Amino acid sequence: MDDYAIGVLTNIGLISFLALSAYLLLITGEMSFGQQAFFGVGAYAGGMLTAMYGWSLPLAALCAMALGALAQFLVGLPTLRLRGLYFAMATLAAAEMARILFELFHFQRQLEGEPVGPDGSQGFRGIRWVFEHGVEPLEYLGMVYALLALALVAFLLVERSRLGATLRGVGEDAELAASLGVNVTRVKLGVAAAAGALAALGGVLYAHHNTYIEPRNFDIMLGVHSLAYALIGGLGTALGPLLGVVLDIGALEGSRVFQGYRMIVFGGLVALLLIWRPRGLLDERAVQWLRRRFS
Amino acid sequence: MSDLAQNTLDGLFLGSSYALLALGFTLIFGVLRRVNLSFGPAVMFGCYAATWVNLNFGAGLVLLALVTILGSILAGAYVERLCFAPHRGGSAIAAMVASFALWMQFEELASIVLPRHLYDFPPLHGGAPLAFGAMTLRIESLVMLFAALLMCALLWWILYRTRFGVAVRAVIDQPQAAQLAGINVPRVFMLTFALASAIGGLAGFLIAASHEQVTPMLGMWSTMKGLLAMMLGGLGSLPGAVLGGLALGLLEAHSQWFFGPQNRDLIAYALIFILLAARVPWMTTRSAS
Repeated sequence: MDDYAIGVLTNIGLISFLALSAYLLLITGEMSFGQQAFFGVGAYAGGMLTAMYGWSLPLAALCAMALGALAQFLVGLPTLRLRGLYFAMATLAAAEMARILFELFHFQRQLEGEPVGPDGSQGFRGIRWVFEHGVEPLEYLGMVYALLALALVAFLLVERSRLGATLRGVGEDAELAASLGVNVTRVKLGVAAAAGALAALGGVLYAHHNTYIEPRNFDIMLGVHSLAYALIGGLGTALGPLLGVVLDIGALEGSRVFQGYRMIVFGGLVALLLIWRPRGLLDERAVQWLRRRFS
Repeated sequence: MSDLAQNTLDGLFLGSSYALLALGFTLIFGVLRRVNLSFGPAVMFGCYAATWVNLNFGAGLVLLALVTILGSILAGAYVERLCFAPHRGGSAIAAMVASFALWMQFEELASIVLPRHLYDFPPLHGGAPLAFGAMTLRIESLVMLFAALLMCALLWWILYRTRFGVAVRAVIDQPQAAQLAGINVPRVFMLTFALASAIGGLAGFLIAASHEQVTPMLGMWSTMKGLLAMMLGGLGSLPGAVLGGLALGLLEAHSQWFFGPQNRDLIAYALIFILLAARVPWMTTRSAS
């Protein structure tokens, strides 16, 4: 594989974490415009731990995930009772606040005579753990996909379990679920924390793949894209968001056929696809049909 | 003291542009119960159409205003047909994501037709601002404020004094009953969309002409400011949209003076977040699922 193909595939893997995080919230009935913030929290926290304090990447990733989970839990506490658009706007406001805080965040250390660390809107360069530890691009790609596979297996197991039914029940009708004895607040807070951790993991991997991050990487465009990926791929299975990412980044950017017109093509396709399938390609009915077909 | 008064004037000017955008947003949200993320980008499309006409033919201001408004209506109609008409009574999320997809189209189209990052737009009023002692007042500010108030009055007249207005209010309150009463609901949707886009186009023209420039960022800017002002004033209320716009403008002008531009946005978002989390009654009583 050439470097370009490896880069595209790695990007697909990274963004898939964000799309999965949007998907997890969507199936429990919440639409978030703010997942990019937790992706950003992960990127900054992970990058700082490895580049400034010499932590190993796995340890930094775990710590960043915990931080992402905590961040979304805290944002969720006052906002999860809000419905629909109100929740979306509250998450958008929180995410834009986070982005501006990244712009204001100057925190550097002198390492070997060089300042290292986030420098406000100048960004944060030199997140070189992958390079310094001799991890080849292909190996890094393997790492990203191994983690993604792990996340997917977890999703598929949860969706087949009682917990999965509870999640979808809360998503479809929270009041009905509550009347059946589900503690809706607890479920939603748990989902928020898990979604934050997933987004943060994507962020850590993103920061170490790019070696350079800046606040505007984590703007509203990224968040709405991940929402769109989850929705066009389909809300019937955790493979849906992946399909969404593959369709956009893989088929359109990777093929370079529509260079210069990619957004026009992608935008039109998404709008038409949603008329045909408002819950995405792999929606609940498609998934049931596939299951019957192959079991 | 005079700084405070000057900031208040600037805030009212900024706020009246937000108010106009929020009016268009609110009209669509009130009738369709859907958020149109492409509202700002459609306005930007109108402004770019006018800029293109200006670059190639050097038209006058009135003609440019007409081109902006017509361009916005055209773009709005495209959005309505592709994103909202098919999802009527269906999924709100699908409609919103579809409108985001078209936003991407408008942005790329704008950068293909006019690839520079910044284009000049002819000024609304080239002359010097009015001076009152130490304070200054741009003519543009007065025009913008006047336009916002005029649009609000015009909308009130349309909604409360015409047959079309009765139909629109019926659709807002009881969509099914309205349909049963023989109101052509899809037609009301289309006309409302056109009206909202026309208001957005007027707002876009005034904003471009008073800043004397257009950039592709105008789309996202209009959507964000319109959405925030609409939320602040209470979803779906027209007087609320104007008040929300003015309040957002005043807040931004004063906090920019005291704390600088980055903190200005931080404060605005923090306020929205806190008000939503506190579930203040005027913002969260309407159902918006």
